[in-house]
Amino acid sequence: MTTQTESTPNAAPVSPLKRFLPPLIAAALVAALGVGLLRGNGGQVSGPLVGKAAPAFALQTLDGGTISLASLKGRPVVLNFWASWCIPCRDEAPILRDLSEKQTANGLAVVGVVFSDKNLKAVRAFTQEYALAYPSLLDPNLDTSIAYGVSGVPETFFIDKDGMVRGYDQGGLTPERLTAGLGKIGVVN
Amino acid sequence: MQGPWRGLIALLLALVCSLALAQTSLSPTQEAQAQAIGRTIRCPVCQGLPITESPSELSQSMLRELREQVVAGRSRDQITGYFAARYGDTVLLDPPRRGVNLLLWLGPIAGAVLGVWWLSSYLKRTRAAATASVPDTEPEEEQDDYLARVRAEVSHGRPS
Repeated sequence: MTTQTESTPNAAPVSPLKRFLPPLIAAALVAALGVGLLRGNGGQVSGPLVGKAAPAFALQTLDGGTISLASLKGRPVVLNFWASWCIPCRDEAPILRDLSEKQTANGLAVVGVVFSDKNLKAVRAFTQEYALAYPSLLDPNLDTSIAYGVSGVPETFFIDKDGMVRGYDQGGLTPERLTAGLGKIGVVN
Repeated sequence: MQGPWRGLIALLLALVCSLALAQTSLSPTQEAQAQAIGRTIRCPVCQGLPITESPSELSQSMLRELREQVVAGRSRDQITGYFAARYGDTVLLDPPRRGVNLLLWLGPIAGAVLGVWWLSSYLKRTRAAATASVPDTEPEEEQDDYLARVRAEVSHGRPS
């Protein structure tokens, strides 16, 4: 069909617009797709809070004490949201335990926040099973979880000593990803 | 004796109820505002459901936070901005018309305009081709003469 219609005005030159418009549209679509794919993949390591001040919190620990972000001022903080029902949290718990064993009084602080987990017995069993010595905070109303934009555990925020979120990780830490996050807050693992 | 006691109990009950309500309840206008804003915020753990329609714990907590912000007198933009700053623009069911999101809004309009332009030019071309092929009917008439002769011969009977 097209050969018929194009063959008749064969003598007339095809305008550059007609010639280049379809490939240009195709190229633009491919470029948009590429940008979308590359941007979407960054969700693992960059969250909306990165570069912003870490939201303040003051929560009860499993032992009945209270820990606030203000009380950790001046120390780099690894804030890890987890739950006893979360499978990837079980993979990263030993990694965080090893890290917490290296923390010093005025150095790095590792803090856990229990997300959407009403079963305190299971929460305690989890901390015992993995021998977690760092504090785990309870967030019964999910206020702190919402303030940090947490929707699915595990999620980890790397907060520098000035209280700014510098790194974010979702889906489970590996030693490599932990080292990368710690590097953003000036901690050498 | 029973009369005054009953009155006192009723008064105490009313006081307790009003205190309980004062803690959590909003005026009908505030509640309507909270619901309207809540309908534009996506439940982060659901598939395309606003927090007002999701029974998940996270959505209910987000709705409670939203209500508190409405009571505190924060504007719609401030409240949606609060959630977008934490969960990203993907938490908004009505994405802001800026940046890359503009493609979402302008893309279909641009597509429709381009489509209409292409269709009209295509129709113009086919019409031009149709008028250009009008002289083709003349040879058909010639053919018609030939056909007429054939038909005449056929009607007169086949030559044996």
